[in-house]
Order: sequence, then C-alpha cells, then structure tokens
Amino acid sequence: MASILSRRPGLGPDLGWRARLALGAGLVVLLAALDLHSQFLGRLAAPLLGVDGGVFASVAGATALTLLLGLNVAVLRSLPFRLQVAIVWGELFVLFGAFAHSFDLSLPFIESKLGYLITQGAFTTVYVSAMAIVLASTLAMLGALAKMSRNGMAYGVAGFYISFFRGTPLLMQVYLIYLGLPQLGFVVDAIPAGVTALGLCYGAYMAEIFRSGIQAVPHGQWEAAAALGLSRPLTFVKIILPQAMRLIVPATGNQFIAMLKDSSLVSVLGVWELSFLARTQGKTEFRHIEMLLTAAVIYWLLSMLFEFLQARLEAYYGRGHTRA
Amino acid sequence: MHKFLLNALSVCALVAACAGTASAGETLDRVTSRKVLVMTTDASYPPYSFLNDKNEMDGFDVAIGREIAKRLGAELKTVTPEWEVVTAGRWNGRWDISVGSMAPTAERGRVLDFPAVYYFAPASLAVHRDNPARTPAELSGKRIATSAGATTEQYLRHELKLPELGTSPFSYQVENPQIRPYETDTSAFDDLRLGDGKRLDAVFSPTLVLRQAIKSGYPFRLVGEPLFYEPLAVAVDKGDPEFSAKIAATVEAMRADGTLKRLSEQWLGDDYTQASAR
Repeated sequence: MASILSRRPGLGPDLGWRARLALGAGLVVLLAALDLHSQFLGRLAAPLLGVDGGVFASVAGATALTLLLGLNVAVLRSLPFRLQVAIVWGELFVLFGAFAHSFDLSLPFIESKLGYLITQGAFTTVYVSAMAIVLASTLAMLGALAKMSRNGMAYGVAGFYISFFRGTPLLMQVYLIYLGLPQLGFVVDAIPAGVTALGLCYGAYMAEIFRSGIQAVPHGQWEAAAALGLSRPLTFVKIILPQAMRLIVPATGNQFIAMLKDSSLVSVLGVWELSFLARTQGKTEFRHIEMLLTAAVIYWLLSMLFEFLQARLEAYYGRGHTRA
Repeated sequence: MHKFLLNALSVCALVAACAGTASAGETLDRVTSRKVLVMTTDASYPPYSFLNDKNEMDGFDVAIGREIAKRLGAELKTVTPEWEVVTAGRWNGRWDISVGSMAPTAERGRVLDFPAVYYFAPASLAVHRDNPARTPAELSGKRIATSAGATTEQYLRHELKLPELGTSPFSYQVENPQIRPYETDTSAFDDLRLGDGKRLDAVFSPTLVLRQAIKSGYPFRLVGEPLFYEPLAVAVDKGDPEFSAKIAATVEAMRADGTLKRLSEQWLGDDYTQASAR
C-alpha cells in the first residue's frame, strides 16, 4: 500500500511498516551500543529519567534520537524535491558545525590568521592551479592527438609520457623536477617547478580523457563532414570537438578539482600556499586543528566554484542533447 | 645545421657539468655583490623558527641568520623548502646558507659543509601528566614516539652517532622501548595528548620544543634531565671553501663577543651555545 501512497516515484525502495519498525529497532540497538562507551546520549537522557547514566539511559537516549530521525524523514518526505535537498544540506551543515565545535576551537585565533590565509595562501593555490590547468589542458590535447595518430614516433612519445606520469606519484615528480632539472642546467624556482609537475601529471590523465571523448564521437560524423567537403582539421575543430566536449567536460572538471587540492604538494618546495600556511601558522601556538579546518573549508569553497563552472560548461556543451 | 646541434649539445653538457656544486668563491661573490643572504629554515619549528604574528619568519635560527647576514653586509632573505630538499645538497645557488638546527652527521657531510656549530640542543622524554614515571629508566619497554630518522630515534635504538664536535658523553638509560617514529614531533604530541597510554606512553623530542608545547597547554611533564645534547650547525653547499671559512669566522666572532649567548638567552631562555657550560 505504501507504494500507492508515495508521492514521488523514486529509485529507492519504499518500505512497509514491518521493515520500518525493524530498521528503527536496529538503529536504537546500534546507537545504544555505540553510546555505551562515551555515554553521550545517556548523559543527555539521564536527567529526564531521574537516573545517572547506565545502559537504560543510553537506550532511552538512542530511542529518542531514532524517533527524532524518523520524524525528520517523515516530514522531509512530504516536501517537494528542491526543499528536501536544501533542508538536508542545512542539517548536514549543522552536524559538521557541531563536529568542528567539539574541538573547542579558538575563533579569535582563526580570525587573526584568516586574512593572510586567504590573501597569501588561497591566492597562491588558485594561481598555481590556474597555471597548471592551462599547461595540463595543452599537454592533454597534444597527448590525445598523438595517441590517435598513425605516426609511430608521436604515438611512442605520447605513450611513454602518459605511462610515466600516470604511473609515478605526483610527489616524486615534484621532487624530481625541482631537484633534477638543475642537473640539466636549468635552475627553476619553486613555483615554476611545481606548476610543471602538476601540469605534466594531470596532462597525462587528461590526455586519456580527451582521447576517449574524441573517439566516442561516431565515425559517421567524420564521413558526413568529408561528404560535405570539409577538410579534416576543420572537421575536427567544428564538428568533432564540440561533440566530444560534452563527454570531456565532466571528467575534466573532476580532474581540476583534484588538482586544486593536489597543488598542496608544491608546499614541499617551500611555496607558501594554503596548506603550507595551514600547517605552519598554527604551529607556534600549537593550534593546528583550527588552521586545518579553516583551510579545509576554503578548499571546499574553491571546489564549489569549480563545480559551478563545470555545471555551466556542461549545460553549454549539452545543448544538443536537451529538448528545446 | 649539424654543427649548430653539436654546439648546442656541447653547451648543454658543459652547463650540466658545471651545475651541481658551487665553485670556489661563487657563493661569497653572489652574497657580497647582491647584498642578499638567502637562508633556508623550517617554517614550523618554534622557538627556533616559525611564522610570527606579522606572518614573518622569526625565532632563534632566524635571529642567528640575520646576525650573520648583517656581518657580511647583506640583507637576510628566508626561504622554507622541505627538509629533504635542503639535506639533498646541490643547492645550485638557489640559497646560500641553511641555519635550521641541522645536526652535522657524516651522511649529510657528503653533500654539505658544516662550517660552524652554533648551539647544543638537549633532548628529553616527556609523558602525559597522568603517567607516574619520574626517571627515564621507568619508560623501558614502553611506547615512545620520536621524529623519524632523528637523533632521538637513534638514541632509542642505542645507535646514536653524534658528530665529534665537543659533545658531552651520554649513557643509554631506556631499555627496549617500542619505538613509534612520526613524521614530525608535533603529530606525536597530538597522540600523547589523547591521554596517558591511549596511543603512546611517552614522546622523545628536543627539550625546548616540549617546553613550548607545555606552555601552549599540552598536558605533559618532562621526565628527568635531558638524555643527550646534540650539536647543531650552520650548513652551506659544498665547493666554496672561501664562503665556508667566512661563515666559520663570522660565527666564531659572534661566539667571542657574546652575541650567540645573548640570542640564545633571548629566544631559548638559557645559554645553549657552549659545549662545556652545561
């Protein structure tokens, strides 16, 4: 009967009352068992029951929490989709905040360090990532083209490049480029070395993404363009690439978000980017949790910006696949 | 065309051959002509070197570097590459000197020169406040954290090799500890802070780093007297004996006129610069 009453046809199972009861009971037992050690729920419930802790209080606290969760789910189910999403985000944010609060953070300390963390740290992170993105995209396109070419030399070089830079840890590449290039007579500074390492490494991953996206465009598109008398380069730029981009953008967006965070590896060369400052600024007062959490939130916000841009790009290149 | 290629190749080979170590007088020339002394130091090693409230490098090591630069007629500029990058040697003129509490071990001596020892750092055991141990011997067989690869770890393994630079004798007072090596001392501190015996029974670190942690509210207590004193030196790249000699003379002059002692008392709270004065 539940399936008839459900408001929104979804992919998830719609549970009968027996299953719900079993789920609730299981949750009570699980929560109570987890609580036996820390007695967090037990201590919350104890004053209401007039006992001081113990198994009984833990079970009571767990039951209350389960009922609260059940009520929450029931209310959420009656709401429209968008509101559901917004409320779930809000609730998870509150839980995250409570987790952060449990560290007994010093807000004035964060406030005093935040400015420099953003103007020096986040700025350098974005700057390094942006330059590496340009380099990686260029290398990826060249690598993908070479991987698809019939020229044995181009194929060999690209294959070696992709294999090496995908097959070795980025941290090793950072060290190798910074310490190794001077052996060849090029004494590069920390930031160019870091950007080069990031660009080379992510270019190798992205070359495979580009190649798969380009090869996923049906061969008939090439033939149709040839029939219209278009040259092969023109066909690639005007016909194939725009269709390939629809497939390339989501996976590449993933890579850029990953790169944003991997740019923290250049801190080993002494670049004062976000995670370097997060690790060092808190050290003098031994307040690193504050700095690490703050930096995590800044990284998260930056990633959200990337997600937003990716969604816009996806919508742009997906135009041909939506109903007008 | 071929001749051009050949020329280009030979230039490359020549440059490659010259790169690596500094040549005689090169570092000294660079410092005196640019009037800038570039120094590496650790960005998170209070009270020796750390980011201060103005987001500038500060501390004992930085003060020593500033004084050396002043006596060479140069400005001090600090850079903060990772420890491994500094100890790998072959600086290629990226920086001139390292004042970063580095122990002048024989292994490092293969790629770096150590013109002068500038202080002696004590190392101590510390336990959580709730731990009853009063002497190092009571911590035999216990879980003790050290910085991985540091002299403190060597001590616990009974393999401590101190450079012969006026160190005082020491004895092994802890038997068969369960050694727990950590990337940095401070992450070990966070584990000991969880409670006595939760993850660790003790940490073995530079005494002054421990004192700084205790001052910042870590619930630790030092156990007994320091177990050994480690000489720490100024490091320079190999291959420029003139620069090495100049640095050695400068640090010696700072010792002779009491500057080293004054900076040590100012930053470390005591005089740690004399091998015999302990």
